[in-house]
Amino acid sequence: MPDDEGKIEALLADLWQRHLPLLRERLDLLDRIAADASTGTLTEESRLEALSVAHKLSGNLGMFGHQHGTETASQMEKILKTPTPETLRTLAVLAAHLRHTLAHAL
Amino acid sequence: MRRILIIDDEDDIREVAALSLEATAGWHIFTASSGALGIEVATAEQPDAILMDVMMPGVDGPTTFVAMQQIPAIAHIPVLLLTAKVQGVDQRRFAGLGLAGVLMKPFDPLTLAQQISDALDWKD
Repeated sequence: MPDDEGKIEALLADLWQRHLPLLRERLDLLDRIAADASTGTLTEESRLEALSVAHKLSGNLGMFGHQHGTETASQMEKILKTPTPETLRTLAVLAAHLRHTLAHAL
Repeated sequence: MRRILIIDDEDDIREVAALSLEATAGWHIFTASSGALGIEVATAEQPDAILMDVMMPGVDGPTTFVAMQQIPAIAHIPVLLLTAKVQGVDQRRFAGLGLAGVLMKPFDPLTLAQQISDALDWKD
């Protein structure tokens, strides 16, 4: 098992590096949409796009050891799925928190 | 050697699952990025099991599973759904489908093979 663990960790580290550009794009998108949400200018198309991105992040960050990132993305997904004016305003905080959580790995 | 088909629209999920199953269990992995492609690969390769995402653009995992059940050549292959969360409504929806099981995302790459073996009662 230790051999497997080391091998998988190395493969995951390589995969994480290869997917960093996509991750950065996704974080940028969540930042933009959270900003729109906080000013009341979020469109339905953007909400669905952000919902898809938050869902994907909630499903994959934990695989790379970023469990806290998965939890934050999951919170964002929940808000984007059934939004209210109050919860939409919290998206910007969650987006910033998500970026902060992953900052050391970006 | 076990042969597994992974169906997920997310590149990184497919890659992590594949490398984890290859590295920890030595299984042979096939992948597909959509339900439609998954049906094609399953028909051609006859894997021992299918690991499939629930939420995919277009045709989702449960709908793909129902379609697979209508194809005699692949209807016997056990299918495990992979989902980010299982809420009450999902549990009820999944329970009536005849799935082999449901696994949670994010999964632990070190234990994914064991989770699959446990769900399918594979002893080897």
